[in-house]
Amino acid sequence: MAIEGVDLMKAAAFIGAGLAMGFGAIGPGVGEGYAAGKACEAIGRNPEEAGLLTRTMLVGQAVSESTGIYSLVIALLLLFVV
Amino acid sequence: MDFDVQTWVKMASYIGAGFCIGLGAIGAALGEGYTAGLANQGISENPSRSGDIIKNMLVGQAVAESAGIFALVVAILLIFIKFPMVTTLKAAALLGAGLSMGAGAIGSGIGSGYPGGGACLGISRQPLLSGRMTTNMLIGSAVCQTPAIFSLVIAMMLLFLDFGKGAVSPTWAALLGGGICMGFGAVGSGIGSGYPGGEACLGMAKQPAVSGRLTTNMLIGSAVCQTPAIFSMVVALMLLFLNFSNAPASPTWAALLGAGIATGVAAIGSGMGGGMAAGASCEGIARNPETFGQVTTTMLVGQAVAQTPSILGLLVSFILIFKAFPETVTLAAPMALLGAGICTGFGGIGPGIGNGMTAEGAVTWVARNVESTGVLMRTMLVGQAVSQSTAIYAMVISLVLIFVV
Amino acid sequence: MDDLTSIPQFVIRLFGVNLVFNTETIFMTWIVMAALIVFGFLATRKASFMPNPVQQVAELFVKAFYDLTKDALDDRMAKNYFPLVCGLFMFLLFSNWLGVIPKLSEPTKDLNTTLGFGIMGFFIAHYAGIKKKGIKQYLSEYFQPIFFMAPLNVIGEFAKVISISFRLYGNILGGSIIILIVSHLVYGLMLPPFLMCFFGFFVGTIQAFVFTMLTVVYISVQVK
Repeated sequence: MAIEGVDLMKAAAFIGAGLAMGFGAIGPGVGEGYAAGKACEAIGRNPEEAGLLTRTMLVGQAVSESTGIYSLVIALLLLFVV
Repeated sequence: MDFDVQTWVKMASYIGAGFCIGLGAIGAALGEGYTAGLANQGISENPSRSGDIIKNMLVGQAVAESAGIFALVVAILLIFIKFPMVTTLKAAALLGAGLSMGAGAIGSGIGSGYPGGGACLGISRQPLLSGRMTTNMLIGSAVCQTPAIFSLVIAMMLLFLDFGKGAVSPTWAALLGGGICMGFGAVGSGIGSGYPGGEACLGMAKQPAVSGRLTTNMLIGSAVCQTPAIFSMVVALMLLFLNFSNAPASPTWAALLGAGIATGVAAIGSGMGGGMAAGASCEGIARNPETFGQVTTTMLVGQAVAQTPSILGLLVSFILIFKAFPETVTLAAPMALLGAGICTGFGGIGPGIGNGMTAEGAVTWVARNVESTGVLMRTMLVGQAVSQSTAIYAMVISLVLIFVV
Repeated sequence: MDDLTSIPQFVIRLFGVNLVFNTETIFMTWIVMAALIVFGFLATRKASFMPNPVQQVAELFVKAFYDLTKDALDDRMAKNYFPLVCGLFMFLLFSNWLGVIPKLSEPTKDLNTTLGFGIMGFFIAHYAGIKKKGIKQYLSEYFQPIFFMAPLNVIGEFAKVISISFRLYGNILGGSIIILIVSHLVYGLMLPPFLMCFFGFFVGTIQAFVFTMLTVVYISVQVK
């Protein structure tokens, strides 16, 4: 089986895409879950502010999701552009 | 350098033995250390009961040790048994057996430490209940051992079944993948099932009157935690027993290995996450026994959502196992399939744990503020759904790797 | 095991383009629609102050989802959007439960269905945002916090569609595949009914609720 340079590059790009998105998903997943857990705690303490707290939670999660989006972008770049 | 088959089999069994006891020793040691730590705390709080506590600690540690002992047994078997069927396939099976038992013992070892520690501390606070607490600890730790027993079953099958003299590739990947799948799949469930056991023992010390409910809730919670381990066992059994010898060797080996990694590794997060929710529910019931119904419901909903990453892993595994891939000589196609498995597998860890943290927060506060159960459950679901999105991106990348590339 | 990958399709060639219809999905969607219409008819036929059981169930849905929408949006917008929210939930609920009946399958098992609903939610949310804030402010939010983050913000918006639709699809398809495999392994004895209850009713209900709630949340993020 003759492995050429282009093939090797493609192989590396594919496995790299898998690694990028796979490991990149760990952090945002834990972080967003932690934020949501704390939001639940805060709502438990102060149910009247549930609307405000949910919005704050969503904004915080959106920010911590951005690294996940970066991984997604890099994975897609590796798949389709490289 | 040409090696004969015998050398390969021996090499695989020695490496497998090393992984087996090396990984397998991690869990039991951590779990027992935790138990001993809480026993010390308990003795310092209530020195007059040191005898009871030490007795309980030793019983608890003995149970936590069993996962490590399974690993030791499998390692010794790997070193000393002369296997009658010496084929190259057997080498892969032996390596898989070592990984399955070794990784599978991590979770149960750590998990069994929590009920032990909880019981030691509980006895120091409520000495009259020591018998009851030891019983509960034993039930809790026994449930924690289930994933390790699944791993033992798969390891024994890999050790002693005859996989024939058929084509080596791609079946070797199926055997190795099955071992990896079961081994890593048992980690999360083992650790997770420990949390409710520990909290239930501590809760009994707080509210001796509801100890029956606490045991029930502990059992429900830890049974649901086992689901990811059961998913892994299903995939491992399929990898072991389906016949792949007609499939083309080249990309199929990567697909089978990827299938094992996807379900096995993705199960870590979901198992731990389910355990966090179950632990919080035991703590909550002890604090406020009237909220039993709402707390258990919230826990179950939270656990069901936390299982999504492992269901996604299972989905990708099934696609990898059942889809027929055309034969190829390139390296890119197998790497794409292996990458797909790694992507969904590791991508599932974080969201699973994160969903568990969310459910933990919600369940804890349902018990303290039962009037806002509705709004808490709603916030929990939205928060979990958002934190799952990265696992879903990982699955999408995997599907692109499988179908498009 | 072969029925995992086979999809019944019906292809029409029209002006050089292949129009593909997934017949099974469409047929199952019609069944769900028919069930919903019958339910709506029974619930409202003899609407009275002393409700009959069907009306009671319907009122339960309407009340619960009106309150939910009111919590996330304000009173005036809730009046506009809650029929959509309630209808979406009931459709998804019936769809996810349909697989429990033998010979029928969930339309949500097909990515096209869930993606369709995801795209619908996306357009509704952005329409609501533009209507509320005006096009200028709506566009300016993409350039937060700095202007070169715009492409990432756009991708983030599209990723929401992907995540909401793949979540439902993955859960329902995963559940049905697990039921299929386990039934195959145990020859249909004992276990499948429990799995049906868990994946069909329990997970189906939760995922329908999650999908609906996320659609509401996406709307509320756009208008706030």
